[in-house]
Amino acid sequence: MSKHFLFALLAVLFSVLPARAETIVVAADATWPPFEMLDENKQVAGYGPDYIRAVAREAGMEADVRNVAWDGIFSALGANQCDVIASSVTVTPERQLTMAFTTPYFENYQALVVLKDSPVEKLADLKDKTVGGQIGTTGILYTQRLNDTQGLGAKVKTYDEVGLAMEDMKNGRIDAVMCDDRVAKFYAERKEGYAEHMRVAFITDEVEYFAFALRKQDTELLDKLNAGIAAVKDKGIEAQLQAKWLDD
Amino acid sequence: MTDEKDPQGTPKIIVTEGPAVSNDRGSLNAWPIVFVASVLILIAMCLWRPDPYWKIMQFVPDGLLITFGITIISICIAVPLGLITGLGKLARNPVINLIASMYVEVIRGIPLLMQLFYIYYALGSLLKVSPMVAAVTALSVCYGAYMGEVFRAGILAVPKGQTEAARSLGFDRFQTMFTVVLPQALRTIVPPVGNECIALLKDTSLVSIIAVADLLRRGREYASQTFEYFETYTVIALVYLIITLLLSKGLSHVEGRLSRYDRRR
Repeated sequence: MSKHFLFALLAVLFSVLPARAETIVVAADATWPPFEMLDENKQVAGYGPDYIRAVAREAGMEADVRNVAWDGIFSALGANQCDVIASSVTVTPERQLTMAFTTPYFENYQALVVLKDSPVEKLADLKDKTVGGQIGTTGILYTQRLNDTQGLGAKVKTYDEVGLAMEDMKNGRIDAVMCDDRVAKFYAERKEGYAEHMRVAFITDEVEYFAFALRKQDTELLDKLNAGIAAVKDKGIEAQLQAKWLDD
Repeated sequence: MTDEKDPQGTPKIIVTEGPAVSNDRGSLNAWPIVFVASVLILIAMCLWRPDPYWKIMQFVPDGLLITFGITIISICIAVPLGLITGLGKLARNPVINLIASMYVEVIRGIPLLMQLFYIYYALGSLLKVSPMVAAVTALSVCYGAYMGEVFRAGILAVPKGQTEAARSLGFDRFQTMFTVVLPQALRTIVPPVGNECIALLKDTSLVSIIAVADLLRRGREYASQTFEYFETYTVIALVYLIITLLLSKGLSHVEGRLSRYDRRR
């Protein structure tokens, strides 16, 4: 009799306990400071991961953010190894053919980083110079587009990580690095070992937008995340995160 | 061995030379089948679906040249380096012996990727090394160590009687090594050295980490723009296979020419 009573009690308790939150796996390439980077405990931190964690919380889910190398991040999404990419992914028409994007969460411009004594001041100065960047990023695609459409004449060198490109520029092997403007400012103004040698030459006025990328068939998840993004913006969480990570 | 008999009727013992197990491969050879198949598959893919396969093929030729160039130059440096290392480990002089042994142990203990990184970035902050020089240096130094061991094993496989006979005929140590021992050691050395050369060709794909635009890097760049990962890597794999097959054909040619002393009956 007492055994049945205990069993019934447990059943009632479990049915009224809140359901465990659904977890989504988020991929981010943690080599893009201050958007995605590793903190002292080797956890993925930065504006992007914190934003997606807040969005997931607003949507009643939990985000498990993992560090995935940029070069394989899109195929990881396609191969179901992650559900969302939160890695400063710019929305481009080519990318929209193969994946779905949420509403944008950040406005971004490409910027050029050079050494402090470099003569480069504007785009046209890049003729016959070598520009480096991370493979597959819009910075590289932008430079190549300028080469093809406007005959810019810059040599493009792709690296696995933007940090390696910055290192090569510090050692004088390349002339400039094209990357997102906040990343450029991070290296040119804050990063020790680099900031004293580099400066931001200019910021282009090509605007682009970051959004979270999903598989095209995950329409339900897309709606939930969009609702979460709207909530994060309305509740002022976005402003808090911007103050924390992008403090200018 | 036939049952020959001499005029008195007692069986003749015929002595032949060569390896214990016959190296006769007969008529069914893997190389032509794989080579023809991979070339045909590549051509068929380019004709059946020019977009994306032909586009990929047009994107990669300069990477192919760089891969091939790095491979050839590295082989040309690594093989003599391996010979010197192998001889060094067999030297009587303890200093030379120690240097050669330490070189082999240290280089074999560090992954090639680390060596590439180190030579390019760490040393690169002190002296200016271009990416190609760093790539060739790292590959030659790494494979020189492995080949040193192969050379040493081949030299040790030559029977002691050869050295004794040569010395007793008045050859000095250098002459013995270079005119009597090494030519015979080559039969044992060439197949594994050929193996290392093929491994070297495939390890050139690591140089993409120091932003050298080799075949694999070109493929990655194309795939990162178009998101056609599967198609791109299939084409790249087939191209690697074809150039590896060509290299292995060249090496088996060298093997054949060097073993002509064995094919006497």
